[in-house]
Amino acid sequence: MKSFHLTIARVGENLYDGEAVSVAAPGKKGMFQILADHEAFVSELASGEVRVKAADATTSTFAIPHSGVIEVSHNQVTVLL
Amino acid sequence: MALKDIKTKIKATERTHKVTRAMEAVSAVKMRKTQTAALAGRPYARAALSILARLSGTADLARHPLMTARPVQKVALVLLTSDKGLAGALNSSVIKKAEEAMQSYAHTDVTVYAYGKKGEEYFARRGYTIARAYENKKDTIELSLMEELAHELSRGFTEGVYDAVVVAYSNFKSTFEQLPSVRRLLPLALSDIEQLVKDIVPAKGKWSELSAIAAPTAYTVEADGNDVLEYLVPRLVSVSLYHLFLEAKASEHSARMVAMKNASEKSKEVVQDLTRLFNKIRQAGITREVSEIISGREALAT
Repeated sequence: MKSFHLTIARVGENLYDGEAVSVAAPGKKGMFQILADHEAFVSELASGEVRVKAADATTSTFAIPHSGVIEVSHNQVTVLL
Repeated sequence: MALKDIKTKIKATERTHKVTRAMEAVSAVKMRKTQTAALAGRPYARAALSILARLSGTADLARHPLMTARPVQKVALVLLTSDKGLAGALNSSVIKKAEEAMQSYAHTDVTVYAYGKKGEEYFARRGYTIARAYENKKDTIELSLMEELAHELSRGFTEGVYDAVVVAYSNFKSTFEQLPSVRRLLPLALSDIEQLVKDIVPAKGKWSELSAIAAPTAYTVEADGNDVLEYLVPRLVSVSLYHLFLEAKASEHSARMVAMKNASEKSKEVVQDLTRLFNKIRQAGITREVSEIISGREALAT
């Protein structure tokens, strides 16, 4: 499965930096999932959790304390918590 | 000087040498820690900046209250100094730079937020209003404190209590070079943050690689672009502030390390000189005693 580069960062630290095949996150207007080759996209995130499926099929979750922003462009996804 | 006095002085200097050498080592470790923290925070700052840069095409950036510039009459000064000295010219050069920047404003138009005692004392003595004073005791920087301060500054700016917020701090170039700088925090400008992200990377050393921020593209924005801005802009203020604090910390530790290194070297030199003097006087004493004994013996023989 095609993968993309994912960065999840909090102000003082970097939580995730590597390849992933899928990211699911709660947007302000509902849950969505991002796969490789997604169009350029920006959304605000509601509180909840971000679920990441890495290239080697392992999954991990990151809690969103209050809100966040997700940004997608050129197979580079950035989540700021 | 009597022999005993010299001996005491040598002992004392040796003790000082031990202390300064220990402080040098401690500062070196702290400096490396702060540098790592500065780098750990970089991806966030870069990502937030690039999102903002790309959004500038679709959303109305210049109209955001935190990014609107207006004629500056009143100004808030955030002053980052250390609590303790023993760091060479670090604090005095930051204070000097800050005072230079504040010269064009009346004392009553300047509100000072002092982080670190040295700066607070200096500006309080000269009749400036100190809005808040923080102790700069810990080696880590608490994000909660940073957000609180950023929030207060942003509120003051939007409410018109002051028209600009500037930060005076010491920019960490390398272990041996810290540049006292004054940077504008509010109104927020893209070019300022871009410069900041670039500056997070020290000029020399292990961390000096840098990759470029990708070129802007058009976006699909879910919800409203302005919502995203609402979220990002205040965050960027606190992130900028956080990085300036880290810079100041790294500068403090490296300045102290260098100052302590110099002190260690000097104390070694002093010990050497004193030992030489000690030996000289002792030898002079021995020679004098020997000649006294010989002359006494010769007086007896005749």
